[in-house]
Amino acid sequence: MDARRAPLAATEPHLSSQCVTLARGPHALRTVVGMDFSVALLVVGGLLVLGTVLGAVVRSRSARVASGCGGDEHELAVSGAEVTLVQLSSPVCSACVAMRRVAESLVAEQPGLAHREIDVIDQPDVAHRHSVFSTPTTLVLDAEGHVRARLIGAVRPEQARAAIEAARTELVHS
Amino acid sequence: MTQNPPFGIDPRGPRFGAAITSVLLLVVVLLGLTESLEATLVGRWLQPSALLMTALVALFAWGAFAGIQRHPYGMLYRALLATRLGPPDEREDPAPPTFAQLIGLLVTGLGLIAHLAALPWALVVAASAAFIAAFLNAAVAYCLGCQLYVLFVRAGIIRRRSARA
Repeated sequence: MDARRAPLAATEPHLSSQCVTLARGPHALRTVVGMDFSVALLVVGGLLVLGTVLGAVVRSRSARVASGCGGDEHELAVSGAEVTLVQLSSPVCSACVAMRRVAESLVAEQPGLAHREIDVIDQPDVAHRHSVFSTPTTLVLDAEGHVRARLIGAVRPEQARAAIEAARTELVHS
Repeated sequence: MTQNPPFGIDPRGPRFGAAITSVLLLVVVLLGLTESLEATLVGRWLQPSALLMTALVALFAWGAFAGIQRHPYGMLYRALLATRLGPPDEREDPAPPTFAQLIGLLVTGLGLIAHLAALPWALVVAASAAFIAAFLNAAVAYCLGCQLYVLFVRAGIIRRRSARA
């Protein structure tokens, strides 16, 4: 190596022409990516698997019921209602519309259930108090205004029903 | 209760577009991995992977600046599928998916520019990232760009009217 480099460095023009060949030569950069087709297919397959796994994670987290988060919202509980659903919505989310529809149908079928919607842009304080970052998130308040559960995303009616039912029962400890 | 039909767009339109986009992005990844980086700027741009990426960048720009409703995929969706599928359960505001197109433009555009600047893997990395986002949108209706839009609105970076306007 040293023996070859020394004369090149000594003669300037030779060196620069060597550099030009390195940079502009048709095969100079050819080995940078250029992998085998089957390997490339494996990578593409890997991307599909990754997308599917992420999709499954997103899906499982998109609509769920969380309980035991605690907190109180006495002011937001509709007086006279046994259970109040406080839905936190943001300006543009189609899941919020879906959740609103679920909540309104439940209100129509269940006595003592109330639903109200709060815009997280207009009234960010409620979302801040409960560290809500995704909409729709619906707080399930019992008659005393305790947050008994939160419905995250547009949950299925039966998920909401179970959480409402639990909120109707007397709070044993706390 | 729900908005009147004229308001908003059929949310399945952007998902249909995302499905086409994700397939094309996978083709970019496949081509990008098998091709070698050409030595000249023009050569790099004329590589099949870069040409397809250029088309995708142009499509994202169309969606971002003309609005998602005027995107060619949206027109295709309305012409081919919308009438067969019937009206959607709910309609959505076109602003978040339009913003998502801008994010897509940013990612693919930067990837293309970096590739033209002879950065190896740039095209593949950008196309892979964009693919994951487009795939999630098409497969499980999770629109990453729309989530960003909502976060930006909440942070006050983007001005927006309220939910029940």
